[in-house]
Amino acid sequence: MLPNIDVRLANCIKALEQVVIPSLPPGERMAREQALLVIGHLKMIGGQWKHALRFETASLDAMADLARAIAVSDPGFNGELTTALAATETIDRRDIDAVEAAVGRVGTAIDHAILGEEGTQPLSPAAIDAILAYGERQAFRERTWFKLCGLDPDAGELPAIEAVV
Amino acid sequence: MAVLGIAAPRKWDRDNMEPRVREILDRTVRDRPNGPYRAKTADQVATILQNYFAVTEGLTQVAISDVVRMAGGASKEQFAFRLRHAGDAEGTRLILRMDPLEGITQTCRGRESQLHMAMKGVVPIAGIRSFDADGDVLGQPGMIMEFVSGVTQPTEVDKVGVTGIGSRFDDWVPKLAPQFIDAYIKVHGFDFSKADLSYFNVPRPGTTDAALWQVNWWSQLGWNALLEPVPIITLAERWLRENAPVCEKPVIVHGDLRMGNFMFEEPSGRFTAILDWELGHIGDYHEDIAWVIQKLFGVWREDGVFLVCGLMPRDEFLGLYQAQSGNVIDPVKLRYYEILNAYKCAVMDLSQAIRAATESNNHQDLVLTMLASAGAVFLAQIVLLLREA
Repeated sequence: MLPNIDVRLANCIKALEQVVIPSLPPGERMAREQALLVIGHLKMIGGQWKHALRFETASLDAMADLARAIAVSDPGFNGELTTALAATETIDRRDIDAVEAAVGRVGTAIDHAILGEEGTQPLSPAAIDAILAYGERQAFRERTWFKLCGLDPDAGELPAIEAVV
Repeated sequence: MAVLGIAAPRKWDRDNMEPRVREILDRTVRDRPNGPYRAKTADQVATILQNYFAVTEGLTQVAISDVVRMAGGASKEQFAFRLRHAGDAEGTRLILRMDPLEGITQTCRGRESQLHMAMKGVVPIAGIRSFDADGDVLGQPGMIMEFVSGVTQPTEVDKVGVTGIGSRFDDWVPKLAPQFIDAYIKVHGFDFSKADLSYFNVPRPGTTDAALWQVNWWSQLGWNALLEPVPIITLAERWLRENAPVCEKPVIVHGDLRMGNFMFEEPSGRFTAILDWELGHIGDYHEDIAWVIQKLFGVWREDGVFLVCGLMPRDEFLGLYQAQSGNVIDPVKLRYYEILNAYKCAVMDLSQAIRAATESNNHQDLVLTMLASAGAVFLAQIVLLLREA
């Protein structure tokens, strides 16, 4: 691929930093802020794009593991969870859109289990532990994925993206 | 964390919220397909305002000039402008604060305006000239505010984040910190019983209304905007319903009372206005306290101590608040509202902001997606807090 994606992203950033932003009139604060945000997003995308499919398939696998755990601990929700899990097994795991859609399907079944038919069905301690453990791991992965956003007060404790894909 | 069992049906009554909040949530869903939304140009704003003042105030020879978009803000378009008319040749500098089609949250300009008017003379705040709660004349809901000068962060401090988040104030602390505490005291101590707050409802003292109204507001916003399920958010919703605390004495809650929403003069540091009352409601003071002590709004000092809003250590903040307000901070309620606030932020970032940006319904979608990328910070916080609860 010539020119490759990294070069094109770097070119975009250089153009914004060296041509567009210096040309903005001092009063155009919103335009300046937007241009800086574009640079920020491009830098994040530059660090993410090579890993995006692996990150998302790992997210699907983590969500599916959680669904299996709840199906065991809270068998009353087994049917919907099993159906959602079965649908994920036939997707093309090289297609990031298909993987994202599968995350949504499994997540919807998990949400139904958590809500327990509007609080009329209890949620077992084992299910709660599994959700919290999943939530901890997934939050860490997503914080790492977006650590360059500059809004994470503990960004210094996060590893490189390669560690979470 | 306790077992989540079967709760009283009222805790799951999703319609148990303020009627005006319900209207705003319904309006959001109804109007969502009307996008995409484009940022207003100065010329468009001038035309809108010229008509607005002629219709609402009967002014003649209306001239709108010096329209300048104000930076920042993830949910509202704001413009400074000068209004001249037959009775005012010199003109008056004013602010238009107007809804885009969707923002990171969905709120009511009527409620925000009423709070401004109620708190005038109590705390530094911009006066309200008029408001258009449903956008009948402006086209979008909006409010016209008096112009107030000042800054929200010292101009020479360079560690500044989006919308004032993550700023550190260093030498400014002695000037700003006492006023910061005083603002909480005055807002929470305000007797609202005689104020015109007709867009609001008052939660019944000694009940769980205050908490459950918030849970219903934010969960409905989240479900209406949902793009991808987030199990920890859903678990938090269930926990919040089943553990809602009683509020003994409802107070005015600002909802986003933090540095970044205080405007002050340089070099005196005197507060000139408390900004951004859009999340304001009547509820439990623990909600405001739990909001401001969030990690996102603070910074770490070199010695590892966390500074609330970049101003002071958490324990010092809580101690000063209790001593000066007389309000006792109940650690269980504080923990509840810490979870509620982290939940609100997660809903804003991972549901509403992304929905608004996906539909291209905001004037700066890019700010929304940048803020949304911090959503997992709140998920981690929810996990931590639920485990300790």
